[in-house]
Amino acid sequence: MPAYRRIISTLQSLFRKEELDRDLDEELSSYLDLLAEEKVRAGMSPEQARRAARLELGGVEQVKEKVRERRVGAMTDTLFQDVRYAVRTLSKNAGFSAVAILILAIGIGGTTALFSTINTALLSGLPYQQPDRLVVGLKTMNGEMSGPVSRVDYFDYREYSRSFEELAALTTFTMQFTVTGGRQPALVDAGFVTWNLFRTLGVNPILGRHFLPEEEDPGGGGQILISYGFWQGHFGGDPGVVGSTLNLDGFPLPIVGVMPRGFRFMFDADVWALVDKNGPFDSERDSHSHWVVGRLKSGVTMEQAQADVDAISSALAEQYPESNAGKALLLTELQSYMVRDVRLSLLLLMGTTVLVLLIACGNVAGLLLARGERRLSEMAMRSALGASRRRLLRQLLTESLILTIAAGLLGITVAYLLQGVILQLLPVGELGMERPVIDSTALVFTLLVSVATGLVVGVVPALRGTATDPAQQLRSASRASEDVKSSRLRSGLIVLQVALSVALLIGSGLLIRSFAHLSMLDLGFDPENLLTGQLQIQVSQYPTPEERNQFFTSLLEEIEALPGVVSATVINRLPILSRWQDWSIWPAEQPPPSLQESFSAMARWVPPGYFETMGIPFVSGRDIAATDVPGSPNVIVLSEGVVRALFQGSNPIGRMVNVGDWQTFEVVGVVRDARINTLRRAPDAAFYMSFAQMGPSRAQIAVRTAGDPNTLVGPIDDLLRRKDPNVLFAKASTMASVLDDQVAGFRIVILSLVLFSAVALALTAIGLYGVLAYHVSQRQNEIGVRIAMGASNGELLGMILRRGLLLAGFGLLLGVAAAYPGTLLVRQLLFETQPLDAASYVGAVGFLGLVAALACFLPAWRATQVNPVEVLRRE
Amino acid sequence: MTGGKADLLRGTLDMLILKTLSLQPVHGLGISRRIEQITGGVFQVQPGSLFPALQRLEQEGWIKGTWGESENNRRAKFYRLTSAGRRRLGEEKRNWAQVTLAITRVMEAT
Repeated sequence: MPAYRRIISTLQSLFRKEELDRDLDEELSSYLDLLAEEKVRAGMSPEQARRAARLELGGVEQVKEKVRERRVGAMTDTLFQDVRYAVRTLSKNAGFSAVAILILAIGIGGTTALFSTINTALLSGLPYQQPDRLVVGLKTMNGEMSGPVSRVDYFDYREYSRSFEELAALTTFTMQFTVTGGRQPALVDAGFVTWNLFRTLGVNPILGRHFLPEEEDPGGGGQILISYGFWQGHFGGDPGVVGSTLNLDGFPLPIVGVMPRGFRFMFDADVWALVDKNGPFDSERDSHSHWVVGRLKSGVTMEQAQADVDAISSALAEQYPESNAGKALLLTELQSYMVRDVRLSLLLLMGTTVLVLLIACGNVAGLLLARGERRLSEMAMRSALGASRRRLLRQLLTESLILTIAAGLLGITVAYLLQGVILQLLPVGELGMERPVIDSTALVFTLLVSVATGLVVGVVPALRGTATDPAQQLRSASRASEDVKSSRLRSGLIVLQVALSVALLIGSGLLIRSFAHLSMLDLGFDPENLLTGQLQIQVSQYPTPEERNQFFTSLLEEIEALPGVVSATVINRLPILSRWQDWSIWPAEQPPPSLQESFSAMARWVPPGYFETMGIPFVSGRDIAATDVPGSPNVIVLSEGVVRALFQGSNPIGRMVNVGDWQTFEVVGVVRDARINTLRRAPDAAFYMSFAQMGPSRAQIAVRTAGDPNTLVGPIDDLLRRKDPNVLFAKASTMASVLDDQVAGFRIVILSLVLFSAVALALTAIGLYGVLAYHVSQRQNEIGVRIAMGASNGELLGMILRRGLLLAGFGLLLGVAAAYPGTLLVRQLLFETQPLDAASYVGAVGFLGLVAALACFLPAWRATQVNPVEVLRRE
Repeated sequence: MTGGKADLLRGTLDMLILKTLSLQPVHGLGISRRIEQITGGVFQVQPGSLFPALQRLEQEGWIKGTWGESENNRRAKFYRLTSAGRRRLGEEKRNWAQVTLAITRVMEAT
């Protein structure tokens, strides 16, 4: 048939459907008339003739149905019909539909949100040119991963390696500088990079140029590149900024370029300056403070590049055994390196939502099965009226697909909401990746999930619902008895749901316990009512350590005089807020230890009263005193961890220690260890020198307050402006909120997991309830007879409860067995909690058992309320 | 084959209908009866297969149905062959001749 005719016919059968149907009706009735007439001519009476004609024609409806199926576009037509019918049926059971759609929307929405996040974070590329060619180099010590790379080693790798188009490095931290010359001093974060870092990443400045190789050499000129944000904020987006200078800590540095909006790498920075290739700072091979980033030459594999740098590592180890023995450079793909922290959380959440979706599928499939049984007579009727089984199957599947597609649409809304939450919880945006959005890929994913869900929940109920012989069904329609196969299927579904739920509950329990451990942690200092902030004074204004000490001492006194302040102190790095800076320390009577044998602890310098303000208890000896100033003997306070490592616990007071390549210090006191770096690490060993003897121009301030610390930000600001308007006071926040930020990501993961588990639990309880309630309603006759025969309420309750609890029990066993291997996967997220934590297991099983018992009790109680007289009379 | 009546071979119904209509326009019952008559009652065309076949042939553009009056002044839908249908009938005849010839040869081979 020519294409145009086909199209016309299709359109006709779609839009002229009623006309065609009317035509067919008329034709069939004329056929009947003609047939009857023929029979009258053959000698029958008109009535007999009409009857005989009808018999000969067979079912009018069946003939019509056959003709309709023949029509071109019959598929689309019956699809429309199915959809119309399905929508009508579903809206007649609005409650059922709403519940099913809502249940599925949660599952589908959750998976979509996580899919789009994972798609962006784990699967799509980083916003750099050909990101799959980018690698990160990390130092290993005797095969163990141990982090950043020595700057000196890096320059050797850069010179001798042959596998990289470019090999660049940057510092692992930013340094803060004060920008002067504007209306107010401002603090900027500067990162130090090699000249080729931006070329390696393939990111060009939007204004000006990259660094040049010769600018890395001594006397290169101190050129800097600035970030888009800083350009906008500090220069108002002035296009003439390239060629001007920026005053950093008093040094005028020429700006050569502006990086594009949103560019960040490893950390946020306002300014990028060049690594000082030959500078004295950090110039040792055993000082490790740089990340190495390379772009593989095309055609070079990871393995080849690794072999290349391994050869250089062994050459270095041979040449510099003291610093480089056992040291190597491990190459890792940049992408997998950057997502290492969020990958586990994301995969955990994804796994969880898939489980919830499965549980939701189980519920809806259960609902459809039960509904299918109630609709057996409807199906039988339709089948008697000429519908083929295929047609009925298609009809039922259409219904479940409409349910799931509606759920998918609602799920998109759920996904939008959820994704906002996920992004707040997980530091995906900080990776410098694009913000995940629900894009077309995610929408296609939603559609696929919806359709797959529709088929999963619909196929079995549809097969079951159309499997019976219509004649038998119609005859017995009034005496519906529970179909054995269907009920077994539903029981199986419930067992699975219970198993999945209990596994989820156990997982949540483990994480909640970890979180409780984390938040009830003894930090070794008191984080309540503590205001923190950064302080910086201009070296040009206070050129000598004495002048700087004078400033800080008087400032602390003035702050302590403010109402609401208990005490105030400063330190180079506050706990949790600023990490690391670990220096090696050893007893002065011993020679300096080799790199492998050296013991490092956190190096801090504090004024008198620091330990009291922070709430770090003294073990023995004295505090740093006001008399420990430049010129007097150097003193040091050790934490217990240092004493254990250096003096095996014997009394260290009065002993002498050496620190780094510094001078010798006399030990005057011992304090407890405190958690200085992160919550998840054990308390760190630290040593505290005298703030006055170090004489820094920059410090972090901690103010112990009587009430809410936030109310003191204003007064301290005012005080500083009066005292010296060039002093910078920045980033004021309470210690409590600093700690909060630390666990925020973890809390989000836990909250989502708990939320999902609660949904799973609720769905399972509903499912269990549904199965039992249905079971009771189907067995009413039997129950009625039992009551009539004298069964007590207790026996009836027991009978129904036993059935429900048996199902739940099977599920619990299965779930507990499945949970253990599952929890091993999340081991990394656990904190001071064993994967086999008894409390989590017992709690989860107990809780689910209780909920299951409640869900079973209602139907069981209803069984005792069956009125035997009524039931028997109905019979 | 049940009740001594031959089932219509697959695809032959179309041909028989086209052939029946090649002489003059006929309505549905007429087509049934004509085929029955000519085949001496071997082929009985039930409405359940007749109407779907008519529907398909009309969609293919080989026949066209128009409402008219029967010999006894009853309204009935009469089908006539279109020129495309006439060409189609020619093709079917040739195919049929080939098929029957081939089958006959097989059956008579010794």
